[in-house]
Amino acid sequence: MRYYIGAEARLRRTIEDTAMSVFAAWSYEEVITPSVDYYDLFEQGMGQAEAQRGFRFTDNDGRLLALRPDVTSSVARMAATLLAERPRPLRFCYAAPVFRQQPQSHAEWRRENTQLGCELIGVGGHAADLEVLRLAAEILARLDLQSSYCITINNVEIFNGVAAHLNLPAAAREQLRRLIDTRETAELRHFLETYANGESKAFLKATQLTGKREVIQTARSVIANSRSVAALDALEELWTEIESLGLADQFEIDLSDVSSLDYYTGLSLKVFVHGAGTSVGRGGRYDGLTGNFGRAEPAVGFVLNLDALTEVLARRMAGVS
Amino acid sequence: MITIAIAKGRMQDDALTLLARAGVRLDDDARNSRRLALTDESGEYRFIFVKPADVPVYVEHGIADCGVVGRDVLLESQADLLLPLDLGIARCRMVVAAADAEIMTRSLGMLRVATKYSQIAGAHFGARGIPVEIIQLSGSVELAPALGLADLIVDLVETGRTLRENGLTVVEEIAESTGRLVVNRASYQLKSESITRLVKALETAVNGGHAA
Repeated sequence: MRYYIGAEARLRRTIEDTAMSVFAAWSYEEVITPSVDYYDLFEQGMGQAEAQRGFRFTDNDGRLLALRPDVTSSVARMAATLLAERPRPLRFCYAAPVFRQQPQSHAEWRRENTQLGCELIGVGGHAADLEVLRLAAEILARLDLQSSYCITINNVEIFNGVAAHLNLPAAAREQLRRLIDTRETAELRHFLETYANGESKAFLKATQLTGKREVIQTARSVIANSRSVAALDALEELWTEIESLGLADQFEIDLSDVSSLDYYTGLSLKVFVHGAGTSVGRGGRYDGLTGNFGRAEPAVGFVLNLDALTEVLARRMAGVS
Repeated sequence: MITIAIAKGRMQDDALTLLARAGVRLDDDARNSRRLALTDESGEYRFIFVKPADVPVYVEHGIADCGVVGRDVLLESQADLLLPLDLGIARCRMVVAAADAEIMTRSLGMLRVATKYSQIAGAHFGARGIPVEIIQLSGSVELAPALGLADLIVDLVETGRTLRENGLTVVEEIAESTGRLVVNRASYQLKSESITRLVKALETAVNGGHAA
């Protein structure tokens, strides 16, 4: 629960306007979705585990409602239903508060956060992935964060390919995901010993890597299953484009970003900014989402956390880094 | 500059010795001073000394880039951190102890558990479907069974001497705990070069080597 007063409120508004003007320049149309909607919508959109973090209450007729825990679910349904006939691709952006109950974590305790986000629906491939990455980079540059941000990218199919190759049961797959996510090297090594084969050991090495193109090369030398290799190809194509745009200094490949595997289907990204202790944005490709609303089509997008960006920039203006 | 939060107390000396072997040294004056924030000889690292339970807080917020703290504290705090290295220092066990070793198998309707680690205790018994009432204490937990406050305790044990002298025996072991290096997620990306170097140097030190 946070108030913004005077100068801070103006700063926050400026950041929001900057992001929305970049979206507009890339032909993204603003969309305003309902703050309150049926809980089912969010469960279909986000999956049960995430949707349950929403604040839920009942309507007069007993049906379950929720304060929106995300905007993407609503936009995806809108695209599949209200706008089913509109020619693709669809480009939408928004600046909207979302509400989530927070886990017992010290750093991300806010229940209300305003998301600056965009969705590109109806077009797949690395051109669409690249478009949203460029958008994120442009917004951060326009906020004078040019030299102090880092966007990490990964393709979740690299992990999925290895997990499928190892034929892991659900619980073990979740354990493997968690060990990679928290970079618990010793435990990961121990875990993979049970699944002794060359590829799993090699994967251990690859997932510890964060860096530029060489990460893909290292991963290639150790991962052979076709699903992971296809994902590595896609990631490398994307990286080549990032390099040719001169953005390689601001981007990193992080094969250990496996935090939302059930949601993303390809590219996943996280945004970090000097001065913020947690990521200030995230996104990726979620081709499985619109299918939940009756029209399967590719989609990619990201959100930036307006409140976190405001805090970083306010502190910077006050001269404290 | 990299800021390292060190858990004061049990782990502090072992952690500083290990860091020194990894090439991050505090001079003797600094080590013996009572200041809570110090800079190492190279000026590249800053140390802050805080209570163990506060290490995950400083690191998760990114005030400290990394920290050295026991696994017991991490399990209790449930902070979202990277855990790249087991430092193998300050080894101890998180155990369930009782005066009556048979207590778990007696059909009590509910067990009362005294502990400083309510999350760990709750998760341990909860996972096995054993109904417990957790009594949160902040110290001298070993007293609780003798005085009738609780049937069991969940606590950290190094040698087992305190347990024995208070008439308690270990009923089961929940987890082993050692000092861990924890790293803030954002620092890992934004200061990747320095952090990777520190992790590598510490890893060499843990395995018995010295950094150049």
